[in-house]
Amino acid sequence: MRVDGEQGYILHTHAYRETSLLVEVFTLHRGRVSLVARGARRPHSAIRARLLAFQPLWLSWFGKGGLRTLHAAEWQGDGGSLSGAALMCGFYLNELLLRLLPQDDPHEGLYGHYAQALRDLADGAEAEPVLRRFELALLSELGYAQTLTHVAGSGEAVRPAGHYGYVLERGVVVDPEAGPVFAGRTLLAMAAGDYSDPRTLAEGKLLMRLLLAHYLGDKPLATRQLLVDLQRI
Amino acid sequence: MKLPGTLEALIDALRVLPGVGPKSAARMAYHLVQRDRAGAKRLSDSLKAALEKLHHCERCNNFSETPVCELCSSPRRDPRLLCVVEMPVDLNRMEETQAYKGLYFVLMGRLSPLDGIGPKEIGLERLLKRAQDGVTEEVVLATNYTVEGEATAHYVSELLKARGLKVSRIARGIPAGGELEYVDAMTIAQAFTDRRPL
Ligand SMILES: [Zn+2]
Repeated sequence: MRVDGEQGYILHTHAYRETSLLVEVFTLHRGRVSLVARGARRPHSAIRARLLAFQPLWLSWFGKGGLRTLHAAEWQGDGGSLSGAALMCGFYLNELLLRLLPQDDPHEGLYGHYAQALRDLADGAEAEPVLRRFELALLSELGYAQTLTHVAGSGEAVRPAGHYGYVLERGVVVDPEAGPVFAGRTLLAMAAGDYSDPRTLAEGKLLMRLLLAHYLGDKPLATRQLLVDLQRI
Repeated sequence: MKLPGTLEALIDALRVLPGVGPKSAARMAYHLVQRDRAGAKRLSDSLKAALEKLHHCERCNNFSETPVCELCSSPRRDPRLLCVVEMPVDLNRMEETQAYKGLYFVLMGRLSPLDGIGPKEIGLERLLKRAQDGVTEEVVLATNYTVEGEATAHYVSELLKARGLKVSRIARGIPAGGELEYVDAMTIAQAFTDRRPL
């Protein structure tokens, strides 16, 4: 099978065999795909410098199954580039995709959210709201986050002045027995992607941590750990 | 067929080399013991000697047989300049240019969270200590222009600036002798972003 000029981003590259690279990409129509860039680690390889994360590329590959060969990567043009602390946010988005997104599973909506998050970060947007919006988009797209605008079961609309809990796999509940409490206003603002209220940021972070911790399992996020380690210096 | 134990152990040992799978390892092992036993002896002796004698230089972290390497001890180098590179090969490249007269610090890697490489793995604390020797005036960051190299440069510069040091980054852009017509589009865009006033 041959795929030509598919839109995609590099998530990560690993050394593969003596002179090649194993390239993890996230593409618009085909989701996450692993490709081999043959000879990309030879000196003067033309393709290697283009396999840069966070840049929109046109990717072409052939082959089927586990060992598909990347044969072209063309830069789509300036989508801005990440610098400074925004780079670590970019690594964080990539780590989430690598950890949670299965291979060969298309998620066009999520691709749009990812591209938007990178553009926002490149434009110097405040990082936390961008990360929270992407986390919620990712968890919703994978079916891990339930609706935040209606109560599970009853379907009753969430009231801004109300207080709610969140139960994994079920969603928003009234009168939570245990666990953190979220303002109705927070849940509605999160659903709308609006983090202008500091309280939404604080409670939103808590809710996303709760969900991510469950679906990521015991292995901690390397990007988060690296930031903790840097703080300690 | 069962292989002699020592041969099997040799094949297994050769697989520590990057990019060497079982087949290449077996080919190498047969070559060494059958076709080039003198070469094999030399390899074995030099490997043993290197492991015994090579250490990291106290000052630059590069490999050295003495506590402080030759380059760090040289009176002809300018001790006010400290250049940070990822790997020894990067230091060698800088030296080939003869454009730089200062000293070095070799990180032996770069920050790469997705590969599990953090500040502890690249001796960041040693660099901070080294740069605060009271003589260093400017730290030049010459990590690669990959996303990991850029992230490393960012965090290293933050840590150094917080300690009152002057930090600079090697420039990127159109290569020497480069003609726009033939230069990669991404390189031109970055060169445009990094343009400087004249
Ligand atoms: Zn030295």
